[in-house]
Amino acid sequence: MIETHFLLPGVVLHCCRDARFKQGCLSVQLVRPMAGSEAAMNALIPTVLLRGTTRHADLRSITMALDDLYGAAVSPLVRRVGDYQTTGLYCSFMDQRFALPGDRVQEPMIGFLRELLLESPLENGGFRREFVESEKRNLISSIECELNDKQVYAMGRLLKTMCREDSFGLPRLGEKEQAAAIDPVELYRHYQKILLESQIVLFYVGSAEPGEVADLLRPVFDLPGRKPQPLAPQTGLRESPGGEITETMEVTQGKLCLGFTTPITNQTTEFAAMQLLTTLFGGGMTSKLFMNLREKQSLCYSIGSNYYSSKGIITVSAGIDCDKKELVRDEILRQLELCRRGEFTEQELNAAREYLVSGLRAVHDSPSSIESYYATAALSASKLTPAEYIDALCAVTARQAAQAAETLKLHTVYFLTEQERNIPHDPV
Amino acid sequence: MTQFDYPELDEKLYREVLPNGLTVAVVPRRGFARSIAYFVTNFGSIHTDFRLEGEEYRAPAGVAHYLEHKLFDLPGGRDVTAEFAALGATVNAFTSYDMTAYYFTCTQEFDQCLRLLLEFVSTPYFTSESVERERGIIDQEIGMNLDAPDSVIFDSLMAAMYENHPIRIPILGTRDSIREITPETLELCHRAFYTPGNMLLCVIGDVDPEAVKQAALEVLGAEKRPMGAKQNHWPEEMTPVLPQTACAMEVAMPTFSLAFKCEPVGMGSQAIRQEMVADLAAEVLFGESSALYLSLYEQGLIDSSFGGGFETLEGCAMLCASGDSDDPYAVRDAILRQAEQLVETGIGQEEFLRLKRSALGRRIRGLDSLDGTCFRVCAYHFSEFDYFRFPEIYRDIQKEEILCFLSRVVRRERCAISVIKPLEEEES
Repeated sequence: MIETHFLLPGVVLHCCRDARFKQGCLSVQLVRPMAGSEAAMNALIPTVLLRGTTRHADLRSITMALDDLYGAAVSPLVRRVGDYQTTGLYCSFMDQRFALPGDRVQEPMIGFLRELLLESPLENGGFRREFVESEKRNLISSIECELNDKQVYAMGRLLKTMCREDSFGLPRLGEKEQAAAIDPVELYRHYQKILLESQIVLFYVGSAEPGEVADLLRPVFDLPGRKPQPLAPQTGLRESPGGEITETMEVTQGKLCLGFTTPITNQTTEFAAMQLLTTLFGGGMTSKLFMNLREKQSLCYSIGSNYYSSKGIITVSAGIDCDKKELVRDEILRQLELCRRGEFTEQELNAAREYLVSGLRAVHDSPSSIESYYATAALSASKLTPAEYIDALCAVTARQAAQAAETLKLHTVYFLTEQERNIPHDPV
Repeated sequence: MTQFDYPELDEKLYREVLPNGLTVAVVPRRGFARSIAYFVTNFGSIHTDFRLEGEEYRAPAGVAHYLEHKLFDLPGGRDVTAEFAALGATVNAFTSYDMTAYYFTCTQEFDQCLRLLLEFVSTPYFTSESVERERGIIDQEIGMNLDAPDSVIFDSLMAAMYENHPIRIPILGTRDSIREITPETLELCHRAFYTPGNMLLCVIGDVDPEAVKQAALEVLGAEKRPMGAKQNHWPEEMTPVLPQTACAMEVAMPTFSLAFKCEPVGMGSQAIRQEMVADLAAEVLFGESSALYLSLYEQGLIDSSFGGGFETLEGCAMLCASGDSDDPYAVRDAILRQAEQLVETGIGQEEFLRLKRSALGRRIRGLDSLDGTCFRVCAYHFSEFDYFRFPEIYRDIQKEEILCFLSRVVRRERCAISVIKPLEEEES
């Protein structure tokens, strides 16, 4: 289903030819090691590229070009996959068959992508200051906007605490202070460097013949002076001591987050068992946490868990009344204990399995889900196709799921609560 | 069932009104793993006042949403969510101002899932204890919305805009209004609005249309039942109650939402045309390819969070814009000035055609989303329009209609703005 073309040294194109869709997509990712020194720059680059080119000098002119391509869209693509951060662009465009006779969509789309990547207008040897400054403000405000979603904020604080010694603790878009310090010349130099050094992963989904797409894309990345550097392999979590943290804010609902560690990652054979276990425990509306804490006991409005498989971290986060922290924490731990003892029904286990399997079956239902699944898999330690992943999940026994639960160790408890109560900050 | 063909969109639709009054619409998608079914009633938060079998009723605000939550209970302690999960499907529901939708997605066992959906939505089962217990959950949900800047800002804008229209009351109701809801209220509303004649069943996926119709007839029966007559006339001046409203919350930067009051658009293709004219007007005025967007963006008065469009509902309509800005009032004033100028200078033919092509292309791309398409087919059905006819409407729109809309609507006396400012810094 996925056809891979090695276009040039360090430039790989994955194609999924599929004529069922009404749109196609094309993504470009430059792969970087996740590092505090460049995370904010990498996050900023695509937004600056999208501000203008030498031919399309401003935002309006860029949008007009996209309007002409039947309302195509190009957006910044910044991902974190384990120890890597990727930076690049994601294009979606209407399929050729809906265009007026004589109009082409795909070739001009790739031409425009080339222009965005390689024809930035320069000023004193750097990107245009005006573009950089205003996109810095946007980046800083998206970093700050985490504050607006308290659940996301609380989860970010938990991960930061758990991964003090690991790149996984760095925020995906970098830190506010780093973003503020970026200079247009330094940013342009960094971009030139990563264009020449990085492994580049391209992904195409659409109705065109992959060979044609490869021929259109190869010249775009055939850059003079390119010397792609190999990437260090993905690694497990570099652990640091945990603890209990409480912070206050003006909120009416408290956010309780628990972080657990496990030696099971996407590089170990028990990976599917752990994925199944965490789904049974806290994924979706049939999980033990949702059914018991929310539905049966009305202890919280929202609750769910996440498995960060590249690092072996499991988190639980809940929106609760501020005075119910102990109650909720104890009940979460009790539900985990039940999982460890294998006290779950065949029906609960199968519901979790079906939940994961049906998600995997649907991967091929949209260009964006195909892109997101395979482009992420290409960079992570686990390279299972959806079908292989389904097989692995179907083979997991109840005993193996319980054994996976036994490996979980509570590492950190983070609580965001209302201001009035005067709870002292616990040092960590 | 009657088959309708839309070769321009590469779509087909099967439709029939059953003897019980239910409309069934099926959009076949061959070769896709996921299927989606929406079972929708044309009953939302604004429909609190109605007449049924000769009696007048006024239900408490929030009843439609409360009912949505409680329909998931079935006699005999059956758990709807778990039953769907056991079939590998996920079920969910939402309540909007003018409809309540129950839907599932699955990748297998479609027929069983469909029958379960039809069964649980058409089976009212409310005990005093379960209705009481739900109050706690909904109270929490209201609390969560009170903490969420997006929902606070919109609800206060609606309260500033409308004097009589029930859009001024949040969809969930208030902590006080939900206290008045009893099992009897829920039963009454179910009897009035969950009768097949007030409902639509819409399915998209690799399914047999006749089997969908058969399931609906078997589960719901062929009998036609009486239906509530909604009070849907709310007199409104075209000037808002308050031109501005503001409050402070824990947000990183000021955020705003503004709207211009418009005359309601009514039903059918004329209404949809007005809606598309208004959407194009929004693009011309402040869309990403507009002169205004560029100038506000370059001045740093808006960032990429800025956006807007036309919102329409039974008995009300408005042109909205929202985003984060250090000076929301300057954004409002710039929009007003720009509209005046556009009306004076007109729109170029080339620009107009480009915008139409872009809007058309984006809608075509949007058809790849099963959820989005199912939602639109339902929403437009209740406005008495066949959604897949959008290309012909676009073709027909003239630029004079857009100017006419701008000069009528984008006026200071029709505008209200709601702003959330950050709390004063109180560092300890």
